[in-house]
Amino acid sequence: MELQFAEKFFRRRKSKLKFISLAAVLILAASSLAGAATFTASLDRDTITLGESAMLALAFEGGQSKNIPTPDVSGLQITQTGTSQSVNIVNGAMSSTVTVSFSVTARRTGEFTIPALTADVNGEQLSTEPLKLTVLKADAPDAAAINSGAEIVFLKLSLPEKKIYTGQMLVAQLQICVRDDVRNFGNFQFTGRPADGFTIGKMVQGPNQRAQIGSHVYTVIPLNFSLTAVKSGALSLGPFTANAVYVVPSASEQNGDPFLRQFFSQGEQKQVSLASETLTAESLPLPTENVPADFNGAVGDYELTATGGPTNLAVGDPITVRVQISGHGALDALTLPDQTALRDFKIFPPTAKVESTDQLGLEGRKTFEEIVTPQNTDVHEWPPFSFSFFNPDDGKYHTLTQPAVLLAVHSAGEMVMHTIAAANNSIVENQTPQDILPIKENLGTFGTESVPLIAQPKFLVLQSLPVVALLAAFIWRKRADQLANNPRLRRKIAVEKLIQDGIADLRKFAAENNSEEFFALQYRLLREQLGERLDCPASVITENVVEENSILRGAPKATLDGLRELFQLCNQARYAPVRGSAELNSVVTLFEKSIGGLQEMKK
Amino acid sequence: MIKLSTIILTAVALAGKFFAADVAPDFSAANKLYAAGKFSDAAGAYEKILQKGAVSPALLFNYGNAEFKSGHLGNAIAAFRRAELFAPRDSEIRANLAFVRNQVQGATVRQDIWQRWLGSFTLNEWTIFAAMTFWVTFILLVTKQIRPARAAKLKGAIWIFAALTIFSGTIAGVQTAHYFSRQTAVVVSAEATVRSGPFDDAQNAFAVHDGAELSVLDRREDWLQVADGAGKTGWLPAKQVEVLPGA
Repeated sequence: MELQFAEKFFRRRKSKLKFISLAAVLILAASSLAGAATFTASLDRDTITLGESAMLALAFEGGQSKNIPTPDVSGLQITQTGTSQSVNIVNGAMSSTVTVSFSVTARRTGEFTIPALTADVNGEQLSTEPLKLTVLKADAPDAAAINSGAEIVFLKLSLPEKKIYTGQMLVAQLQICVRDDVRNFGNFQFTGRPADGFTIGKMVQGPNQRAQIGSHVYTVIPLNFSLTAVKSGALSLGPFTANAVYVVPSASEQNGDPFLRQFFSQGEQKQVSLASETLTAESLPLPTENVPADFNGAVGDYELTATGGPTNLAVGDPITVRVQISGHGALDALTLPDQTALRDFKIFPPTAKVESTDQLGLEGRKTFEEIVTPQNTDVHEWPPFSFSFFNPDDGKYHTLTQPAVLLAVHSAGEMVMHTIAAANNSIVENQTPQDILPIKENLGTFGTESVPLIAQPKFLVLQSLPVVALLAAFIWRKRADQLANNPRLRRKIAVEKLIQDGIADLRKFAAENNSEEFFALQYRLLREQLGERLDCPASVITENVVEENSILRGAPKATLDGLRELFQLCNQARYAPVRGSAELNSVVTLFEKSIGGLQEMKK
Repeated sequence: MIKLSTIILTAVALAGKFFAADVAPDFSAANKLYAAGKFSDAAGAYEKILQKGAVSPALLFNYGNAEFKSGHLGNAIAAFRRAELFAPRDSEIRANLAFVRNQVQGATVRQDIWQRWLGSFTLNEWTIFAAMTFWVTFILLVTKQIRPARAAKLKGAIWIFAALTIFSGTIAGVQTAHYFSRQTAVVVSAEATVRSGPFDDAQNAFAVHDGAELSVLDRREDWLQVADGAGKTGWLPAKQVEVLPGA
């Protein structure tokens, strides 16, 4: 009952809502048709810094445009971001406005004019007023503003040294300082990281710190990054520019309970364009005096280890030379000294692997691995290996040397027992061999690169044999089961076999003129066959059965006559057994015909 | 059946011996060139023997060694891989192949553990194993039909061999698919530029070095579309690579 009442209630409310909606649409349509359409363009601000974005809004009031004009201004990137619709009722007059929003981002500084835009609104050509946008270069805030704590967010760039050497690597730091009244800070994106004479490497964020600047406490987010001086002379770094979004309390939030404010106020979100100061440094060229002959540009502080093996080998066998340079500097740029003078060795291109022990890649080790092969037996050593570098800390060149590796190089035919060759056939799976193994002396088994077995038709045909054999065995088995479960069939087959063998014996007895055996066998065969046909034991079969049994009445007359005659002949033979071979053979023929007729008879 | 297989095996063995006797002096001469440090000449001598038609793992192994010592990593890798097809469990071939592969610069396709395990046996070995288990399974099934009284005793053996047949048949099937549908191109020139299209004017995609092993994706006239281990694809002139069956 209650449910029915609720149903009626909602049905009534639904019809009322339909009516109100219809009325609103009609009023809206009428007002949009009644008022004159307008088309305006506006920017949310007329001045931005490079990297910031302004919002351009194209508003269609009282009508809709067939096409949305997209302004095209050189130096500005203007991208449509969305469309919104609003309905305003002022003093009873209703108006509908469709606003298309664009994001305007400057590619360079300067004065830009967004030209008048034309749109077809309700069949009327409407134009907007041109708009001016000034794009300024992002400048670092002045020191006074920073020191007073007036800047909400600012960037601070620092270099550890002002005098450096070309090729030297150092760590610089960029600090993002965020004032304590900022509730949220994010969307930080670099818009520029200019560096004249430096290459900037990896940048890693360090742990946040707190610092008192002026009257405010700031959260300092340090970003450490590696720099490499790539030329001599005056170098500059910055200004680094970036965009970020932060949230601060709005002006209206200054009053009220601060405890409740932190839960219920969302604050004011602002996008800010940040810029750091520009730093300069002087890059000194590397000294030209006392430059080691093998110096190839390595700057830093390094240590060297080098190993080579095997040392007892044949001509052409490879030696693996491992050179490890560890320390502080531009590890990626390190290369092995020129080895083209080593004419007695064939040198394969080395592989190199850098393993950094710090996040910026300044500390660590670089391992070179190269394969060299002695070309003749006159080679007695892998020459001393040296590596030179310039250390910017003491301003001097240093040369590190590893002693020569003595080698015993034999003719390739002498079959030197290599370290690995000695452990022939016992190489552990997946273990990288240290040396190539010598050639084989025996030719071994020959084969031919022929079609794989699985694609050879003969092989595939051969695989069908087991299937055929199984099929045959299955059929044989089924047949055997059928016989086992059908005694009549079994008897029929047995009698057929008996008759077949019996006829042969009859012919033999006929040839031998053995009428006694002949008729005895014939009588037995007649009884067996009739017994099988009449489904009764052979022992109960007599001559009378031919006359009396109803089943035999359906047999052809010739068959019945033949059977009668055969029985009579058997009876007569008991009294006058002697007959000629020809006569006996004619009896066999009669027997075959009669038995054949009997076998063909349906039960 | 046993007699026929014995005759075939004997014939193959005898044919191999006669062939070995034919090329044995050449093989010995090539070994001497190698021992004398004339690796390029030795490589040429081994190659001549190979061109006569028959191959042996030892011949391919020595050819690979000679090519490696002549500085031809790609030819060496191709030779060792061909030798591995005949003797997949020869530790010396594997060791030298691994050693030469370590010298190859840049991107190259590496076999995963599964492929390496599959490659422990040749396709023919997997095929014969699958065929043997198949035959034994069917012989047991036939015996079960002929001697139903032994069915209970045979049941366990039938299941075991049927499982072995399915397992080895699956492996042989996967190996066959790999053999016929996948090909590897071994770069045999010092450096080759992979291009974005199958023509000389196409943009450079990436460079590969001597010995790099690449998967063959497609073939168009004298160009092969290849992929390196990092997933980059492009086209290479066929003359700069040696194509081998399998991944």
